[in-house]
Amino acid sequence: ENRESMLNSKSNRLTEALEEANRLFDGVCRAREAALDAQFLVIASNIGKEKANELHSEMSAFDSTAFAEDLLTFMGINRTEETDDSEDVPGVFLPSDAWQTMGEEAPKYFRRAPTFHYMMGSFKSEPPVPKQRIERQKKASRGKAEQAMPAQLKKMEESHQEATEKEVERILRILQTHFENDPNTPISFFDFVIDPNSFARTVENMFHVSFLIKDGLAKIKLDEDELPIIEPLKPSGGGEEDSRAGARNQVVVSLDQKEWQ
Amino acid sequence: QVSELVQFLLVKDQKKIPIKRADMLKNIIREYRDAYSEIVNRAGRTLQEVFGLQLVEIDTKRHIYILVNNLPHSEGQYLCRGKEKEKMGLLLVILSFIFMKGNSVKDSESSAKIRFVVPHFPFAPHSLTPPFPGALWEFLHLLRVYPGKQHGVFGDVRKLVTEEFVRQKYLETTHIPLTDPPEFKYQWGPRAEKETSKKDVLNFVAKIQGKDPTFWASQYSEAEAVP
Repeated sequence: ENRESMLNSKSNRLTEALEEANRLFDGVCRAREAALDAQFLVIASNIGKEKANELHSEMSAFDSTAFAEDLLTFMGINRTEETDDSEDVPGVFLPSDAWQTMGEEAPKYFRRAPTFHYMMGSFKSEPPVPKQRIERQKKASRGKAEQAMPAQLKKMEESHQEATEKEVERILRILQTHFENDPNTPISFFDFVIDPNSFARTVENMFHVSFLIKDGLAKIKLDEDELPIIEPLKPSGGGEEDSRAGARNQVVVSLDQKEWQ
Repeated sequence: QVSELVQFLLVKDQKKIPIKRADMLKNIIREYRDAYSEIVNRAGRTLQEVFGLQLVEIDTKRHIYILVNNLPHSEGQYLCRGKEKEKMGLLLVILSFIFMKGNSVKDSESSAKIRFVVPHFPFAPHSLTPPFPGALWEFLHLLRVYPGKQHGVFGDVRKLVTEEFVRQKYLETTHIPLTDPPEFKYQWGPRAEKETSKKDVLNFVAKIQGKDPTFWASQYSEAEAVP
């Protein structure tokens, strides 16, 4: 019953209690008493185990009070001489970061897995809804834009063709004018097409001239120096035979920016 | 499936509460039950090779797992959120105390000073105050940590020790039979066994007290003996 005194390693009280229980058991005749006896045995064996434990740790006595004091020192406790108030332990003050100091030391003794956290946090569940709406609106507006486009394109292409035709006509008129002014002097092809100020223009001129030639409105011949000259043609009925027979020559002229310069 | 399981385990480990196989099956493995052990093995390998973490089964009967750090200690700062480090400090102190006191310390339901009554004997019940010099809470008193009082850093300390640490398997409480009011004993939990060692803890005590570990002969030999 008196657990503490039994635990005392110097006392024999446990042994005495066991012996008394033994004696008492002889007089047992009721089940209830036997049950009590069994309970006693359980308690007694627990006490016995504790006594054995205490024996073990007494071999290398561990002074927990000293350990506690050393821990407080480690955590930075302030022990002053003055006594401010007589209630508490005089002048002993544990700083607020005491356990932080312990916290710096402790992880070294553990193989603890660092906790895993996503760096950017998780996605919120809201955006998908507005996104769909935006997509639908985009689709709607795009449809209109596409419808508008073909109309525009048509216009552009038409003007493009017109522009080309106009240019070609213009060039033809220039050629004819030159030739009329001076029918006997051949016009150098290069002199005709080259724009001294713009390479792009030059290429455009050549492009337009090619239409004239294709349509039989002008022709290119090689002169004595093997340089091409150009002169307008009169589109006449008699030209048909010619066009069938002779107009199928092709000339490839290559001109790059360097040469042009 | 394997990478899903790896992510699942990493997130589950945040609170340091051990992971049950049942949860893994329900949430990740689902219809691939037959391949369960293969998936778990591969996940374990990934955790080791990519993160240096070891997947350990601490309860082979009920199939409960924890993650343990397998990398050697680095000298740098240990990154922690919230009060993790301080809690580890308290835990280390408790584990040291338990070990040095012979691997098991007692505590009772009520506060340190209790009335100890044995009703089973036909004698008149005695009431006495069990001293248990070195009982866990008496020891923590010395460190200004009181079970009944809100602590500036730890808050409800009793809850932290008897619930959180126990749920995380750092500590284990066992009820001592036929004690009234009920008494418990505290021991190291399986996570503590894996994450630290008697040797490490003895070294900590030695460092704090400025002594050589061999000063405590039986604890030292016990610490050296562990395979």
